[in-house]
Amino acid sequence: MSGLADLKLGFIPLTDCAPLVVAKSLGFFTEEGLDVSLSREASWATIRDKVAVGALDGAHMLAPMALAAAAGATGGLTLDVGPSLIAPMALNRNGSAITVSTALADAMRAADPEAMAEQPVSARALARVIAERAGQGLSPLTFAVVFPYSMHNYELRYWLAQAGIDPDRDVRLVVTPPPRMVEQMRAGDIDGFCVGAPWNAVAVLEGLGEVLISASAFWPGGPDKVFGVTEAWAHHYPDELRAALRAMIRASAWADDPANRQELIDLLARPDHVGVAPEALARALNDEIVFHRDGAGLPRREHALWFLSQMVRWGQVAADIDLEAAADAVYRPDMFRAAALTAGPVVDPAQVFDDGPPELAPLFEGPAFDSTLAGRYAAGFSIGRARA
Amino acid sequence: MAMGAKRSPRAVAVLRAIAMRVLVIDPDPARAALVAEGLEGVHPLEVRRSARFDEREAIEFAPDVVVIAAESPDRDTLESLREASQANPRPVVMFVDRSEPGLAEQAVRAGVAAYVVDGLAPARVRPILDVAMSRFALTQQLRGDLAKVKADLEARKTVERAKGLLMKERGLDEDGAYRLLRKLAMDRGKPIGAIAADLLAFAGVLKGDAS
Repeated sequence: MSGLADLKLGFIPLTDCAPLVVAKSLGFFTEEGLDVSLSREASWATIRDKVAVGALDGAHMLAPMALAAAAGATGGLTLDVGPSLIAPMALNRNGSAITVSTALADAMRAADPEAMAEQPVSARALARVIAERAGQGLSPLTFAVVFPYSMHNYELRYWLAQAGIDPDRDVRLVVTPPPRMVEQMRAGDIDGFCVGAPWNAVAVLEGLGEVLISASAFWPGGPDKVFGVTEAWAHHYPDELRAALRAMIRASAWADDPANRQELIDLLARPDHVGVAPEALARALNDEIVFHRDGAGLPRREHALWFLSQMVRWGQVAADIDLEAAADAVYRPDMFRAAALTAGPVVDPAQVFDDGPPELAPLFEGPAFDSTLAGRYAAGFSIGRARA
Repeated sequence: MAMGAKRSPRAVAVLRAIAMRVLVIDPDPARAALVAEGLEGVHPLEVRRSARFDEREAIEFAPDVVVIAAESPDRDTLESLREASQANPRPVVMFVDRSEPGLAEQAVRAGVAAYVVDGLAPARVRPILDVAMSRFALTQQLRGDLAKVKADLEARKTVERAKGLLMKERGLDEDGAYRLLRKLAMDRGKPIGAIAADLLAFAGVLKGDAS
């Protein structure tokens, strides 16, 4: 043994598992002295629990899932008082999208062709369809997201609410694992979903759905997955963590490079990775997901605070919690920087060490987000469930 | 155990009142059979197996306990239901493979549901489900107690504020203000906290706080 431990890392079959898969398959982990085995997992809850109890050393995670426990969310099925999770690296920006069935897309165009022609498209046409259905006594439309604590849940809810659709009253929201979204749409169980790549493209290529809005149009450069470990693990294995982060930083830079695109697609298409058609993987990789450039790997405090503001907005956590403390307990840009500093020329220090607040334009004409006033932002929406 | 398939609605209703209902979510029929075998001492018993979790089916069946493999993709869906509706929570038992050392013990130590290493010796099923259910009942009770304590505290604060208002507006002393509130509560057959809250709300309206 070199002194560095064997690591077991988990992932969900999604395009943004690329930094883990690439670092493993191209030998970046090995070059860092790590012997990594990857474990494809079936649910986010399993990922979280396995990392929390040490059955996995780290994993591909939904950023809000890592934040939920620190914010006092009670949704944990098994590990209400489990060890705290931290996010020392962001795996990607963008990648999710809202897709509706072709039938619903047609109904939306019929209801409000002007609204459907706007870019980025709003949910106003959907609001009309929902009102029409209610008038006819039809059951509410069903939309699926991947987890209660996910960018996908907050993105869909935000987008619906900006058009006056109350996501808790006017539609039925369910949770479905990413690989099952398409088959549930095919079966007619769900009318729309918000999920990460490549599953939107899979629905489109199968002729089942239409992408209405992608994350890069909803929030250009908006946050998505993180790499998560427990705080205790990071404390006990600082060298292994730095080595793993360095390998994934190099993997992210590799994955961004258009010269490697085809190789990346072939790698992800393997059945033990994402296991879908290369064509579907290519779509989001071509103009959507960012792994590395513009400092994408840095876990930004503002992103954590936005997620937390949405947890408050939708009543998942109490409004009086200390959002900044929760953000700082989970998001660890210091750890990312320590690794990036020694990762070599793939890292542009100016981007990783730039502390200036990124400009976050108001999303869909919503209130402006000031990360120092995340709690006030959370309470400033006309549709929401913030509780004291 | 495909029970209830051809029973009359009334027979089902009678059975419902007493049967222990176990929902097993597992694509593997052998596992559901093992759960049924392990619960043989429990009569009557309904074990329903679904390859997949279906929300409507689960609501209709109203299980006493849900058994699911830790590796099941349905866990996120199940978890979201617990998160979203406090209305009708159910204990969940998860079965963990022996290939995940530590997961079971840690999970039991940490929380609400029980895990079992390497599933399913039938003899172990019953005690595990019993433990899961009693533990779940205890947690629910503690949560209920906590909510009640919070509500009591809130009511007491409201009464204090209403007393203060009466003392100021009616020139009563503290004891007099409390007696007046208590009389109002008795006359109207409402809890004193509710009377105090009404009083404060009306006072707010009279002052123009609300429209």
